Amino acid sequence: MVIATDIEPQEPPMIEVRDLDFAYGAKLALEDINLKVARHRVTALIGPSGCGKSTLLRCINRMNQRLPGAHIRRGSIRIEGHDIHDPRVSLTLLRQRVGMVFQKSNPFPKSIHDNVAFGLRIAGVSDPVVLDEAVERALRAAALWDELKDRLHQHAHSLSGGQQQRLCIARAVATRPAVLLMDEPCSALDPIATLKIEELLGQLAQEHTVVIVTHNMQQAVRVSHDTAFLHLGRLVEHAPTAQLFDNPQQALTEAYLRGTF
Amino acid sequence: MSDSPSQNPFIATDRGASLRRVAMAWSLRLMTGFIVLVTLAILLHIGWKGAPVLFKTQAPFVNTAFLSKLPSTLHVISDRDGRVIETDNRGAEVLKKQLGPNLREEKTISYSGGGILGPIVGTALLVLVSVSVALLLGVASAIYLSEYARPGKTVELIRLAILNLAGVPSVVFGLFGLGAFVLTAPVLTNSPLERSLLIIPLGFAKLSFQGWDTCVLSGGFTLAFVILPVIITASEQCLAAVPQGFRETSMALGATRWQAIRSAVLPFAMPGILTSSILGIARAAGETAPIMFTAALAFKDKLPWQRDLPALAADASWWAHWEQSVQRLLGLFTESVQALPYHIYTLAARIPNNEYAQRAQYGSVLVFLLLVASLSLCSMLLRRRLRRKYKW
Repeated sequence: MVIATDIEPQEPPMIEVRDLDFAYGAKLALEDINLKVARHRVTALIGPSGCGKSTLLRCINRMNQRLPGAHIRRGSIRIEGHDIHDPRVSLTLLRQRVGMVFQKSNPFPKSIHDNVAFGLRIAGVSDPVVLDEAVERALRAAALWDELKDRLHQHAHSLSGGQQQRLCIARAVATRPAVLLMDEPCSALDPIATLKIEELLGQLAQEHTVVIVTHNMQQAVRVSHDTAFLHLGRLVEHAPTAQLFDNPQQALTEAYLRGTF
Repeated sequence: MSDSPSQNPFIATDRGASLRRVAMAWSLRLMTGFIVLVTLAILLHIGWKGAPVLFKTQAPFVNTAFLSKLPSTLHVISDRDGRVIETDNRGAEVLKKQLGPNLREEKTISYSGGGILGPIVGTALLVLVSVSVALLLGVASAIYLSEYARPGKTVELIRLAILNLAGVPSVVFGLFGLGAFVLTAPVLTNSPLERSLLIIPLGFAKLSFQGWDTCVLSGGFTLAFVILPVIITASEQCLAAVPQGFRETSMALGATRWQAIRSAVLPFAMPGILTSSILGIARAAGETAPIMFTAALAFKDKLPWQRDLPALAADASWWAHWEQSVQRLLGLFTESVQALPYHIYTLAARIPNNEYAQRAQYGSVLVFLLLVASLSLCSMLLRRRLRRKYKW
């Protein structure tokens, strides 16, 4: 079911998933998903393990198609109104528009600067001035610039776990994606590092549309504007976060939120 | 305070068990020690016998002639005063004339005089060619197998085939190289040989499947196939050891599969791949059978770049000079060579054994060991540098 958020009528939603069925081989992982995500909002995907929230996230930048047998059976996904499964779509261009941050922080074993510049270098940018500017902008966006501006050429693995994850965020935003997908970005971090990333999410939403998968429902309450609850591959409920948590419309959502599942 | 066995239930009563344990530990220890002993025996024996040939007690402490001269026949001439003189072909002639009736005995020992520069250069060239070819082919196929190919029956079959390649006896590789590279590999030429299997006219020249003849290239390619299984298997393992996250992340940043491999996988697998090339170097340098039919000669009195070419006229153009220089340089790949393992075999089995032949044998073996060790060392240093750059 779809709850209209504050979408301006003439503008297509940032992300629109229509009637999506997605399967790994013979096993259906997502069924009949309909979801609209508005611009500059943080949307949390919650649900029990194996409910398909990560799968849905990875459908949005087509990361799933790397896996053998994974395919879309039905439906479509549109970014700003454009079908991302058009055969002419370049994955490179799509993923520059739709960035991703993974659960496990995985900076490349290179310098901090080279990590952030990676996406731009891949895209063919080689002008050092442009790269330096982009690196500074991305590190500022990830609230790392003040900590790291004097050690840009140090190895990325000299950073702490929280800094490494924020570096991964900087790396993802360096190409200025419109959408930022985050797959449980805090699950391997301590509470203080988690807090810093949660603070960051609000700022990131000013420039990007953020979709975040999380196991932690308090986190969903703290960081997201909208929340979508998935169960067994179906989208059960999608609503503004306050509404979904205070006044769930579906019995299943209420049971999950209460923990009486 | 010590308890008696009846009071403390943890005190062992079965003395046999502890004896068996000690016996087991010692038998394993002894077997390992035996291996170390044999290795040491080989190295010390060669060092002991070879060092007097290779090293000298006076400056420059190294027998430079042994390292810088080509092998030649050794003449040992003794006169009636009891003097014994070792010399080469030319020296022997002069000496015999000088001594006249005073000559008592002349012994000639083939291949044992001079030095072993020819075999050293030959082995170095063979290793260079074979390791470059094997790394190129091996890394390419490892990338294909582990990154591109869909896992399944076909890939397993290919892996099995590669593993089987490792089990092929080296003399079979030699015969394969003779058939494939020496006699049938394609060359560009204007005047194909009559025995050429197939000639394809290309307009500017003809592509003739007549083989590369006995040369460094044929031998290097043959050796490359000997070491390919090691390099492919090791490279695949190194690629698999690079965290999956690096590939995912770089693809999520818009990298194509090849970009992801080139910038986020290969650099981190490279130190390991180089380690496998170290094993390849030692193997390629040591093999005798694969090069016997494809590259190596028992004796050659020229280095690969000292090819016989028609003398140029005094007023020859610079172009003619240039052409000859290029031809000489290409001789590095297109000439047959002597190689250390084959030279050692010749010294040990093809000439009568005596003290002079033995001296050349041990000297060659020691140089051979040092050469392989130093090649491996270079590879290890390179790996260390790379590892420092791409540590993770």
